[in-house]
Amino acid sequence: MQIKFKVNGEAREIEVTPFHRLLDLLREDLGLTGVKEGCGKGECGACSVIMNGRLIPSCLVPAPQADGAEIITIEGLAEGNSLHPLQEAFIETGAVQCGFCIPGMIMAGKNLLDENPSPNEKEVRTALSGNICRCTGYTKIIEAVMLAADKMDSKGSGSDE
Amino acid sequence: MSDKQYSVKDYYCKHTTRCSSETIKDSKRFVGQDILKADAEDKVTGKAVYANDITFDDMLYLKVKRAVHPHAILKDIDTSKAKKVKGVVDIFTAEDIPDLRKFGLIIRDQPVLVALGKTMRYLGDALAVVAAESIEAAKKAVDLIEVKIEELEVITDPFRAMEADAVNIHPDGNILITHNLETGDVEAGFAESDIIVERKYQTQFIDQLPMQNEAGTAFYDERKGRVNIWAATQWLHDIQADVAQSLRLAKDQIRIIQPTIGGAFGKKEDVSVHIHLAIAAMRTGRPVKLTFSREESMITQSKRHPITIINKTGVSSDGYLKAWQTKFIGDTGAYASSGPAVVHKGMYHATGPYNVENIKGISHAVYTNNTYAGAMRGFGTTQGAFAYESQMDIMAHELKMDPAEFRQKNIYQLGSCTPNGQRLNHSVNAEETIKKVMELSGWKGGK
Amino acid sequence: MKQENKQTISGRDFEKYFQVKNLKKALEIKAKYEDQILLIAGATDVLVENYEKLHEIKNWLDLSRVKELKFLEVKEDKLILGPLMTHYELKNSQRLKQKLPLLAKAAAAVGSPQIRAKGTIGGNICTSSPAGDTLSALLALDASFKLQSKIDSRLVKAEDFFLAPKRNGLKDNELLTQIEIPLYPEESLSFWAKIGRRKALVISTLNLALVLYFEQGLIKRAGVAVGSAAPTPIRLREVEELMLGKSLAELNYRELGEEVKKRVSPIDDIRGTKEYRENVVRDTMVNALKSIEKRREGGKNAD
Ligand SMILES: Cc1cc2nc3c(=O)[nH]c(=O)nc-3n(C[C@H](O)[C@H](O)[C@H](O)COP(=O)(O)OP(=O)(O)OC[C@H]3O[C@@H](n4cnc5c(N)ncnc54)[C@H](O)[C@@H]3O)c2cc1C
Repeated sequence: MQIKFKVNGEAREIEVTPFHRLLDLLREDLGLTGVKEGCGKGECGACSVIMNGRLIPSCLVPAPQADGAEIITIEGLAEGNSLHPLQEAFIETGAVQCGFCIPGMIMAGKNLLDENPSPNEKEVRTALSGNICRCTGYTKIIEAVMLAADKMDSKGSGSDE
Repeated sequence: MSDKQYSVKDYYCKHTTRCSSETIKDSKRFVGQDILKADAEDKVTGKAVYANDITFDDMLYLKVKRAVHPHAILKDIDTSKAKKVKGVVDIFTAEDIPDLRKFGLIIRDQPVLVALGKTMRYLGDALAVVAAESIEAAKKAVDLIEVKIEELEVITDPFRAMEADAVNIHPDGNILITHNLETGDVEAGFAESDIIVERKYQTQFIDQLPMQNEAGTAFYDERKGRVNIWAATQWLHDIQADVAQSLRLAKDQIRIIQPTIGGAFGKKEDVSVHIHLAIAAMRTGRPVKLTFSREESMITQSKRHPITIINKTGVSSDGYLKAWQTKFIGDTGAYASSGPAVVHKGMYHATGPYNVENIKGISHAVYTNNTYAGAMRGFGTTQGAFAYESQMDIMAHELKMDPAEFRQKNIYQLGSCTPNGQRLNHSVNAEETIKKVMELSGWKGGK
Repeated sequence: MKQENKQTISGRDFEKYFQVKNLKKALEIKAKYEDQILLIAGATDVLVENYEKLHEIKNWLDLSRVKELKFLEVKEDKLILGPLMTHYELKNSQRLKQKLPLLAKAAAAVGSPQIRAKGTIGGNICTSSPAGDTLSALLALDASFKLQSKIDSRLVKAEDFFLAPKRNGLKDNELLTQIEIPLYPEESLSFWAKIGRRKALVISTLNLALVLYFEQGLIKRAGVAVGSAAPTPIRLREVEELMLGKSLAELNYRELGEEVKKRVSPIDDIRGTKEYRENVVRDTMVNALKSIEKRREGGKNAD
């Protein structure tokens, strides 16, 4: 069946099957390999993308369910050469090691900051609770999301002046 | 705002590291500085290429038919139905590649494919490999491969494996390797002791669980006679050599290109996808891809060893260790992997950071039909740590002594000697560490 | 090296995927295909169950676009829910938090943000896992399920719905179309707890729901239910009866804990042993009563 959807702002139309998952669609058909598969069963969060404003595991979405959706993946965050504040913050805090969980982590962070621009640490922990990282021990990742919130906050107030 | 507004490119130093302090050329260039990782930008933008992200035109997908029983003789394998699945291009078994040699990190005891009449020793053993136009076709075909086996006793406990009447998992018996350790006179040490404590400890299998499962792509360059393999490994050159010998090729016919590694923690020391990829690439002449599911990764690739540790320790009434006798029985599973090194390394660390003059130890790495155990962070020492630190607490309790004080009495100092005779002549900060822990934890003593 | 539009299998290879927009159509398809069609809502259970086997599924009925099945309404004496309400929506619903905080709390404990955004309460009910987190809450709250077929519909009490692990009273031609929960007039206080090895992404080793309705200081109604402690989530009517007509002060918490313990039949599994579950269910009941006591003393709204 033919579905239409928007990925990172771009309209796409594509032939899919129900045994294609959104994850396969993004990775295989659209070449958006920043979306990672860590378990295929919703446990690890590496495949998280934002679909219609919600953080979802793309491994648990039959492709036809993406029809008409708006999807944001890790590839859609940077604007040209300028990184998203979350991406900058992950680099600056040293939150990245092997990097396999990072796209999902950043999407979870984005989903949080979209809803709650100045979260406390507990809220960050809850927001990232569906994402597993095996290298970092999470501390730096949590710091990164907090730092990104600060960065975005100061950007916001700057434009008010 | 501040002039610290940075662009990652500014920090890119040509070698390996993006550093925010490029101008400082002295020895403090890195030490004490914030270093930005060279590949962090690629990783936060999703551009970093991991093995499974590599795709070629005209690529085939591989799927491995694995053992149907943890311990059985392969009597028959029938791929005829599987070959009829639409999209299947090739299916090969050991019979198709008669000259295959076994592989392995330390001891080459692992078959690339279990041959007819030979034994499957754990559920991860490969029986056949399917190459197909789609992953679905490959899965369908794998499900249609029919296998006949003769079941053998399944041994999941190393103590059972060591019994005289247990069936041999490998021809030379189930004890893969034994190591001994002896310094001083342990009997004299026990004679001098006021309290002797003997306890048995058991650790469990742990999967290293890197976020990225084993995956790879390969392509055979016929003109150069070379197989190119993109797959993560922790031992680039050893794996190259092992793949080459198992296929009876020269080393330069195997080229392994390391993509970004999605975590390893020891699990990617062993061969995983590599040899099957190489064979399929050469047989089909097309690019091939093999990606493990998480379940397949868990069943097939190495684990942290479960080790049974028996510690017998003698101590004087004023709290000094006099004698330490230890036994390490490591379940190394179906194949050796790093097992011979892991289990005895664990034993060498049996006394932890504590001074003991009289030590005697023995370790056995034992084959079972469990998933094989290999390297994982600490390489045997973490299992030992659980045992010796528990032992120290129990002894402190028996002595009615504060466990922190008991540890400080026995802790390594400059000049201490490890069980295998290494003199520690610099950077011995163990006592300082204990003090710091006491301070930070607000330790108030206890018995 | 990387390539766009790499199509592993063409869309023409699959058979039937019905993405219906209204209930009528859904019921018609269900009537026609009965158990020969795979029904999905959020698909979080179904896709895990069929991992690496999706290509074997011939017929799909995707309910996710049926708007009629996604609602939360407060009527005079009941709250009704559409089965497509996600755990995320329940957790964040002000009305639910106000009327039935027990259910909002249970929904908040499901999986992770990702799973809550996708998984639905209808899916949780119809999977009928003994560990399903919202199920103990629904049982304690006296919920009923509307099961509808093309021809008629029936209302089944939650207590009568769960039959065995992952088995329930749904017939092959039926869909769950509504969840009804009575809103009793008395003031109520509730407690829900999940015991598991981690705080997120964990299947309950045990969960317990308790709700008490007070009239002039006495317990007028009660709901006690536990999950992961028997082949199905269970409601413990007999324990409820022991509390009726009494004030909190008259209850012996420990004894009630023992009564709960007596009535569960847990098994040993990877999440916990039988013995562990029996002891923890008892202690959790005690904690539940203490927690309610504390909130009663501290004013109704304290948590
Ligand atoms: C990583 C992970 C973590 C999880 N953690 C938890 C947890 O902590 N607690 C918990 O309780 N669950 C958990 N689950 C299970 C699952 O997410 C929930 O049960 C969820 O509520 C299922 O809803 P769904 O809409 O995704 O169901 P689906 O997968 O779409 O459906 C589940 C079943 O219900 C049937 N069904 C769905 N809707 C209807 C309907 N209206 N009428 C008839 N039949 C219907 C389907 O046919 C199917 O058999 C977890 C799942 C995953 C993958």
